[in-house]
Amino acid sequence: MGMISMQPLTNPKTSPLYCHPFSPKKKKPRSLTVHSLLQYNRKPQLSGETPRVVVITSGKGGVGKTTTTANVSLSLARLGFSVVAIDADVGLRNLDLLLGLENRVNYTVFEILNGDCRLDQALVRDKRWSNFELLCISKPRSKLPLGFGAKALTWLVDALKAREEGAPDFVLIDCPAGIDAGFITAISPANEAVLVTTPDITSLRDADRVTGLLECDGIRDIKMIVNRVRTDMIKGEDMMSVLDVQEMLGLPLLGVIPEDTEVIRSTNRGYPLVLNKPPALAGLAFEQAAWRLVEQDSMKAVMVEEEPKKRGFFSFFGG
Amino acid sequence: MSSIWTLHFHASSFPHRTLSREVQFERYLGFACNCKNCSRRSTLRKFIVRAVSSDDDKRLPDEVIINNSVKDTAVKPQQNPVAKFQESVSSLPLLIFKTGKYYGTSFAVGLCVVATMLIIVVKGYAARKSRYNRPGSVADLVRRGQLRSDRRGISTPLKYEDPFNNPMVKVSKSNTTVEMCGKVYRLAPVTLTDEQQSVHQKRRSRAYQWKRPTMFLKEGESVPPDVDPETVRWIPANHPFATTSSDIDEGLAQNNVYQKHGVPFRIQAEHDALQRKLEALQNEQKLNKLVIDPAAAKDFERPLKSHLKSGDQVEQSISNPKLSPNPPKSDRAHNSCEQNNL
Repeated sequence: MGMISMQPLTNPKTSPLYCHPFSPKKKKPRSLTVHSLLQYNRKPQLSGETPRVVVITSGKGGVGKTTTTANVSLSLARLGFSVVAIDADVGLRNLDLLLGLENRVNYTVFEILNGDCRLDQALVRDKRWSNFELLCISKPRSKLPLGFGAKALTWLVDALKAREEGAPDFVLIDCPAGIDAGFITAISPANEAVLVTTPDITSLRDADRVTGLLECDGIRDIKMIVNRVRTDMIKGEDMMSVLDVQEMLGLPLLGVIPEDTEVIRSTNRGYPLVLNKPPALAGLAFEQAAWRLVEQDSMKAVMVEEEPKKRGFFSFFGG
Repeated sequence: MSSIWTLHFHASSFPHRTLSREVQFERYLGFACNCKNCSRRSTLRKFIVRAVSSDDDKRLPDEVIINNSVKDTAVKPQQNPVAKFQESVSSLPLLIFKTGKYYGTSFAVGLCVVATMLIIVVKGYAARKSRYNRPGSVADLVRRGQLRSDRRGISTPLKYEDPFNNPMVKVSKSNTTVEMCGKVYRLAPVTLTDEQQSVHQKRRSRAYQWKRPTMFLKEGESVPPDVDPETVRWIPANHPFATTSSDIDEGLAQNNVYQKHGVPFRIQAEHDALQRKLEALQNEQKLNKLVIDPAAAKDFERPLKSHLKSGDQVEQSISNPKLSPNPPKSDRAHNSCEQNNL
């Protein structure tokens, strides 16, 4: 995980950990560990051409694509960027459940294609964050030609770019599992990809295959999120470390998400865990991944669990 | 048990230091007793003075016992621990009854002890309370309508105000370790270089050869000669969502996607079709009126058909109160047509 500075926004402390980009007083020491620190006291600077169309894929199912899409997209919305999340799973719709918007999805992409509604009528705007919108593809009433889905999604993204209120900053596409028609449809309009994987060999093999297909289709900007990391198992050498995963796949790291039971609770609530207060560990990790996505950055260091710190008497009081 | 430790320690130290330590320890434990019974205190004080006298000859048997116990532990380590414990317990009252000095110190120590216990109790209560109010339970599924249950207990969504306040993460001053939720982590730098990345890309380009499919054929169909076979996909007949036949007007679909204003195409088309039908029926009605006298046609009217329920008849009469109870045949036919379409 990248490191988070402890300094709040209104009271920046002068310490080696706090590096404001515009303060000339303190020199940033040229060491790898300092660069790994995440400077959290400023808004991330959007880099790259907008709208940035990002597909979140994995190959293997159940690794956390939809969870990643929901949390990263809401993190981006909370950072002030306009985001449209598209659930590109034709048969199974889950993104609306994680966001708690399942009762508000009245129209999907197929209603748009059939002429039953307009694009703006099918977009579900989140009442909590007005700059976040959801669009679902859902199950078609009748069979569709396979190549048509890719065209339709490309038209949709173009229409989002050309809408009157302005193009969104980010379009995140939640890709279905597998590498068949749904995958081909989802990656069609994307310029970059986030590959979600877990530190197990089955997921890694599928992730490698998917990376190859993405590169064949012309998507070169591919970053990796390692999900469901158990630092205790890594310490006991029962699980591959994040660096081992990176060595196998050869992809830059966007984020490392620890295993967190709060994920299940957030799914039950319909409230992504990045919005929790106090923030959950996995929520913090998703926020950091969103930050790096905005700045097109990658992790420079990962956290490896060590021996627990010996607690003194006064630590009992919550220090 | 620290009292025992103190006793043993001070049995081997100088007597004058023993007096001060004993008084302090007594203050730590017995201040409550001192506050309650002064007469008892005075008696006990005397007892202590005599007990801690430095003169070996004038030492009370208790002190002798203490010294002996120390000596015994030094000489005979195999002495019965139960007997030792009994000796230490019997010597405890000596420390509880103090001389009466250092009231301020004892009060401060006592206050600290009380504050500590209060904090412990409050923390335990708060932890117990937060355990019962944990959000993200099945009650939220009930609230969202995903589960049917008579249970209540809907929790309000949490509000997240400051995304930059992360008190859980503490980075060390040396910038090499991070403490988070009671665990300590070491920062390990990422070792992936650009060369390694390009090596992986080359490996994948050799291992995975894939082209985006552009032609979809049914099983049994032949591949056209000018089409790259790698871009052809065969679709099974029982595929749940896919088909090879293109019944969709792609141009129309694209226009629907790009539409920004106005009524959506299909809704507008339906509306136009209904409008045309209404106009056609009205025109037909006008023609019929010219030919047929509604009043005269009443004698030849048949009762309403069975597919029209009684509720529909009531609705018709309510919606057209000014009309006669038996509207003309053409209107009734028009109404039945509309209801069938709905």
